Amino acid sequence: MTKIIEPDKQTNIFRRPSSEYGIWSWLTTVDHKKIGIMYGYAAFFFLLIGGLEALVLRIQLAQPDNNFLSAAEYNAMFTMHGTTMVFLAIMPISAAFFNYLLPLQIGARDVAFPRLNALSFWIWVFGGLFLYSTFVFGTAGAPEGGYLAEEVGWLGNAPNGGWFGYQPNAGFKYSPGTAMDYWAIGLQILGISSLVSAFNFIVTILNMRTQGMRLMRMPVFTWMTFAVAFLLAFSLPIIAIALFYVTFDRQFGTTFFLTEGGGDPVLWQHLFWLFGHPEVYILILPAFGIVSEILPTFSRKPLFGYPAIVFAGFGIAFIGFGVWAHHMFASAISPVAQAGFGISTMIIAVPTGVKIFNWLGTIWGGKLNLKTPMLFALGFIGMFVIGGLSGVTHSVVPADTQQTDTYYIVAHFHYVLFGGAMFGIFAGLYYWFPKVWGKMYNETLGQIHFWTMLIGFNLTFGPMHWLGLQGQVRRTWVYAEETNLGFWNLIVSIGAFIIALSILIFMANWMYSKRKGEKAPFDPWDARTIEWTIPSPTPVWNFSKAPHVKALDDFWHAKYDEDEEGRAVRRDTADDLLLQLEEEGLNPEEEIELPNPSYYPFILSSGLPFLGYAVIYKSIPLALIGVVLILAGSFGWATEPLEEGFRSRKEEE
Amino acid sequence: MSGGHDYPHESTGVETRKLGMWVFLSTEILFFGTLITTFMIFKGRDFPGIKLTDVYDIPFTSVSSFVLLMSSLTMVLAHNALENADQEKTRVWLLATAMLGSVFLAGQIYEFTEFYHKGFELSTNIFSSTFYVLTGFHGLHVFIGVVFLIGLWIIGQRQKGLSLDSGFNLEFIALYWHFVDIVWIVLFTVVYLI
Amino acid sequence: MSDNHKEHPTPKKYVQIAIFLGILTAIEVALYYTEDFVGVFTDPLLIFLAIGKYVVVVGWFMHLRFENKMVNRFFAGGMILALILFAIVMIERAAGNFFN
Repeated sequence: MTKIIEPDKQTNIFRRPSSEYGIWSWLTTVDHKKIGIMYGYAAFFFLLIGGLEALVLRIQLAQPDNNFLSAAEYNAMFTMHGTTMVFLAIMPISAAFFNYLLPLQIGARDVAFPRLNALSFWIWVFGGLFLYSTFVFGTAGAPEGGYLAEEVGWLGNAPNGGWFGYQPNAGFKYSPGTAMDYWAIGLQILGISSLVSAFNFIVTILNMRTQGMRLMRMPVFTWMTFAVAFLLAFSLPIIAIALFYVTFDRQFGTTFFLTEGGGDPVLWQHLFWLFGHPEVYILILPAFGIVSEILPTFSRKPLFGYPAIVFAGFGIAFIGFGVWAHHMFASAISPVAQAGFGISTMIIAVPTGVKIFNWLGTIWGGKLNLKTPMLFALGFIGMFVIGGLSGVTHSVVPADTQQTDTYYIVAHFHYVLFGGAMFGIFAGLYYWFPKVWGKMYNETLGQIHFWTMLIGFNLTFGPMHWLGLQGQVRRTWVYAEETNLGFWNLIVSIGAFIIALSILIFMANWMYSKRKGEKAPFDPWDARTIEWTIPSPTPVWNFSKAPHVKALDDFWHAKYDEDEEGRAVRRDTADDLLLQLEEEGLNPEEEIELPNPSYYPFILSSGLPFLGYAVIYKSIPLALIGVVLILAGSFGWATEPLEEGFRSRKEEE
Repeated sequence: MSGGHDYPHESTGVETRKLGMWVFLSTEILFFGTLITTFMIFKGRDFPGIKLTDVYDIPFTSVSSFVLLMSSLTMVLAHNALENADQEKTRVWLLATAMLGSVFLAGQIYEFTEFYHKGFELSTNIFSSTFYVLTGFHGLHVFIGVVFLIGLWIIGQRQKGLSLDSGFNLEFIALYWHFVDIVWIVLFTVVYLI
Repeated sequence: MSDNHKEHPTPKKYVQIAIFLGILTAIEVALYYTEDFVGVFTDPLLIFLAIGKYVVVVGWFMHLRFENKMVNRFFAGGMILALILFAIVMIERAAGNFFN
């Protein structure tokens, strides 16, 4: 059945990898689908670790004056929880969706640069491993007059200056030891990965669209990917330079952010949040895209106001660059800046509101099909509105000054990033499960997962609003009995464990359904976009011939016609069409050129952690190993053609 | 690129790798923007120790700036020669560009050494730190560019010669090289003259 | 689709442009030495000259003038975004000192 032929000639030093199964096929793959799946699993693994860190934090806070963790360990845990969830969980899970779906949604066979795609994945993996190797090799050290080094167990060997790394706290004087170096260099490596994938996605969307796929016919998820790629491309360079400065300050005695040498700690805050605020939209926009795909499908109505959603997405992305200083209202910034950023923070609520009303307009009057993806999508809207509204309260500077560094903020951003981004991601995981595995997930377990997660989530983060307003401060490992905060903190901790339970249900469902689930029908959701016009699981070549797109929601229009009153009527030919599509999708007419697997992305990226260690330990041999690996990878890459031995029959004639 | 014959390769009409390079250069603006911003912020402040104005050698830097500027001319001539399928001329101009780039780099190394001997070290004060990191980051870009150019020149020695279609292609490297040049145009003014 | 490319300039034209750039550089260096005469206009003039050189290299040597609109917008977008963001940061850091 497969008409892809093996490469036959050896044009390089090593024979090209060609295995289709087993570990080598995964290590050398350049297939966007496999890379997407690897992103998904690896990110879920880190999500579990980040979740465990959160549970450890909640055990410590379940009672007043608890001593489950020392202060130093608590610092390390909240730093790693934040860093992990942002850079190693939500961003890469979104990247999993981008990788798997983007080429399918624009009708392409792969991304624009398949090997660069593999490169960004492996750089990300090595960045994550580098960051986590701090538990083995790192030391937190003890600042003068701070807590005692003996109190620090192995949990405390991690970065402890917060995921925001405020200076001078994260500088060498107050965070001696190597842990914060692992943080700075680890984020640097992860940043390279995201930057590379951002170029790749931008070029893919601009240049790889199939016939008739005009920009304004692209699915909303693709549009949101586009917006995210812009945000990444323009915000990551800023943090990259800022992290360079941190590393220079810590390793080479410069004083970019240290006042004693004439530096400026507030400059770090500016540079960090210049990246950090767009980052918030990098985390949430993919979920916006996913939900905008799911709501129309399960309401059996077109998306209400498609252009408005697209432009609002870009509005958010653009204005998202102009609100960063609202994270700094309690820092030394001028009153004019405070007023300006307060106003821009209010303004960014407008395009977000546009989206919410569009979604509500989409489900309004629709025939709702309350399957698990739809439940999560609806849960997303509800939870995100709560998080969005508490977010607007931060635009009022005096109020924000009061709320800064309290649990109110923690509640706010978890409603946005968990209730928003994670609910959207779970909706997407269920929605595209049949596409990826060709099986159906278990609906009952899916619904149980949704309800336990919704309850657990609100128990965890709801009470944080009033805990924060009562004055419980973030990032502090104990609170006194007399504060009377104990009851609600216990509830919050119980809620956290309910979330953990819901995640276990999800995992059980996933593993069971992937093996023993029912075979998925060709078009399980009666969907609208062209990724459902091909068989599930997706064949290696995606589309057996390039689809010709004639309209927005092309697949829907192929299946449905309108009667005089504008209602959708299923065409008589729809069922035959599905059968025909399945037959054609599995049997391409001609041999298809696909990029060959390659060792070099893996080899190249494996050099980066060595360079990181070399900077931390000032070791020339480690640097040499890193440089050799990188040069070997680049040289092999440059001399190896993307495709070889894959010739279609026509060309040979 | 992957895809069958029925696949349109470039929806925008711009060659995919070139488009990728333009996107990359757009983000490079943000890299250098951050560095320049830091430099400007600290330039307006008081700091202890030696000042940049005490160590500058403007005539020397002007000459090396001129050298880098002219390397952009040789680069564009190499590109032009390749468009006219003149392999010989392409190689000559490529080599000239790499040479001019190396002269600029040598000049920067000489300049750094001179400054160092005058007591202007990386961690002397905030100003020396920003100076070295900013110009050093640019120097690293020039170095990578020179490596690319020499790589191209070596590929050009082969029988097939260079082409504008191959993966590692001249147009792509030329864009990068010109970008490195325009960054120096800005840095020369911001760091040295103002 | 590449037929919307306008014709690239000739080598002669490129040399002329390079001479023009060289002259601008000479003026820049001259301005540095004549700061005492030119006074407050020196810095704005220098910035103006740098922008001029920048535009010439990007437009002619990098062929942006002859390139697809998409590329133009992208590069210009990056430039404008960077200018706005960093102007705000610079002004804020300067004003911060002023207000405190």
